[in-house]
Amino acid sequence: MTEPLLSVRDLSVAFHQGGEVSLAVDKVSFDIMPGEVMALVGESGSGKSVTANSVLKLLPYPAASHPSGQILFDGKDMLKASEPELRHVRGDDITMIFQEPMTSLNPLHSIEQQIAEILELHKGITGQQARARILELLNQVGIREPEKRLKAFPHELSGGQRQRVMIAMALANRPKLLIADEPTTALDVTIQVQVLGLLRELCNRLDMAMLFITHDMGVIAQLADRVSVMYAGRIVETAGVEALFGRPRHHYTRGLMDCMPSRNSGARRLPTIAGQPPAPGTVGAGCVFASRCAAVRETCRTAAPPRAEVSRGHDVLCAFPLDGGEPR
Amino acid sequence: MNGNAVLDIRDLKVSFSVRRAGRKYQVRAVDGVSLSLAEGEVLGIVGESGCGKTTVGRSIVGLVRPDSGTISFKGTDMTGASLRDMRLNIRMVFQDPYASLNPRRTIGDSVAEAGDINGFFTSRAGRSAAIAATLTAVGLDPSFAARYPYELSGGQRQRAGIARTILPSPSIVIADEPVSALDVSVQAQVLNLMMDLREQLRLSMLFISHDLGVIGQISNRVAVMYMGRIVEQAATRTVLDDPRHPYTRSLVAAIPKPDPSKRILGAIETGEPPSLFKRPRGCAYAPRCPIASDRCQVDVPELRSAGTDGRAIACHNV
Repeated sequence: MTEPLLSVRDLSVAFHQGGEVSLAVDKVSFDIMPGEVMALVGESGSGKSVTANSVLKLLPYPAASHPSGQILFDGKDMLKASEPELRHVRGDDITMIFQEPMTSLNPLHSIEQQIAEILELHKGITGQQARARILELLNQVGIREPEKRLKAFPHELSGGQRQRVMIAMALANRPKLLIADEPTTALDVTIQVQVLGLLRELCNRLDMAMLFITHDMGVIAQLADRVSVMYAGRIVETAGVEALFGRPRHHYTRGLMDCMPSRNSGARRLPTIAGQPPAPGTVGAGCVFASRCAAVRETCRTAAPPRAEVSRGHDVLCAFPLDGGEPR
Repeated sequence: MNGNAVLDIRDLKVSFSVRRAGRKYQVRAVDGVSLSLAEGEVLGIVGESGCGKTTVGRSIVGLVRPDSGTISFKGTDMTGASLRDMRLNIRMVFQDPYASLNPRRTIGDSVAEAGDINGFFTSRAGRSAAIAATLTAVGLDPSFAARYPYELSGGQRQRAGIARTILPSPSIVIADEPVSALDVSVQAQVLNLMMDLREQLRLSMLFISHDLGVIGQISNRVAVMYMGRIVEQAATRTVLDDPRHPYTRSLVAAIPKPDPSKRILGAIETGEPPSLFKRPRGCAYAPRCPIASDRCQVDVPELRSAGTDGRAIACHNV
């Protein structure tokens, strides 16, 4: 069996602020296989971005800390890596793209300069060789007439083109893993579908794995191979994408799917999940979802739910999971 | 045109002057929009960034000044009408509940503001009772009146924003992306609330959104905008189930369906987005359109009636 490319084990993230400590991520574990598209889905504050940022140690340390966990990449624990070791991995073996390309691109650098910097830093490629590689990359991400775009500045590009340039930068050094944090959330749907299509195609063609962070179940269904659903800092369900959408086992996952307008066309009222996610630090001993769960029982409020593997590769953090006998 | 229309917009045109790279440009955000909103109806306006949907909404409440066109409320032209009266009848809900509530005022004061300005309240007790009743109507406990916006979650803030809107009993609500900043589970709650209020208070609503899923849930009728013009308009189910204009078709096809067995990535072509600075001479959609003909390059298609169900389409080729 192949080894996972990235293995996150019992990762916790705590934030210290004004003498108070809050746990944003609580013992999260997942694996990403080479070439696999793994998605982390959750609502605001669920800890999905914090988890993703932990992989490259991009959190505001020392305010942030990791009370537990390991992040193994190529067998090496990223949480224990030194700053020079991390710099070597960032932008090279593991790269990242973000939601708002305008804030991630340097507004005073031309497209050529932005990409050239990474090539020079990690691979020592400069001059004509660098330009050839930059044109190749821009072609790869679907920028038309790339020669004319080399001298363009970020403000001269549309949102979709900026995100393509970001992707070109992320691909420059042929990473094994691309971390994408809501990369299409700021884009219009007709452009989003192009950028998602591009990312999927690049993963297939370059045999690159992707960790994709999103709040959008529709995007997950279109893009991912496997999905972990996060709620209040924990992964409550992990499954292959077909299994997750076909037979969600966690009540929260099911609730998220049910309240999507596109699944309810014509219904007079939308199903909802009552209440709102717990504030950080207010979670007691029981299940994090207990206060909103329609199927809650007494033990859910007092005892931590077990993690059960309900079928091969499908596990759920719930004492009374949906039986899955009613495919949607 | 429409006998029982509470709001009727004719040939609305709005432009902005924009400075870019040292040059001044006139950008036409709305380029001849006509709409009418029937009593008790929810009309959805859908389109992507820059299509002019927000500018249409803002023109109606007088937040931007149109170049030309008429906007009439219950048969009376509002151009030059008193903004104060009009803003009690036609009220807006904004996208960002963080930005639309004054952070230094309590929720109660923000909710009561329109009443305070217009002398609605004769006593302190009456004012408090009105605030409490309005908060209850939007699903908030009356104790929220004493709180500040930072103490509320996003969903609660949007409920407070809606309370502020309905306090003076308006007849029309213009909701501009009211649920776009909310998480899906909260979004469903707020959409349900808006549907309930619309029924209870017999509101007419103009619901502006980029999200066809949300529009499909709440609207009776939909107008699809592209570069300042309406390209297709019909009953909601008609537009969603059987889109005819090539832009509407592409918009509907591009929605990520929450079903892994119906993958569309790589299978649909949606073209490059338009630039408002380079408006094509003919149909604005022609550069992206799979069925554009020579005529589309030079001749702007007018919105014309197509079919018996009130559908209208602006396209030479469908």
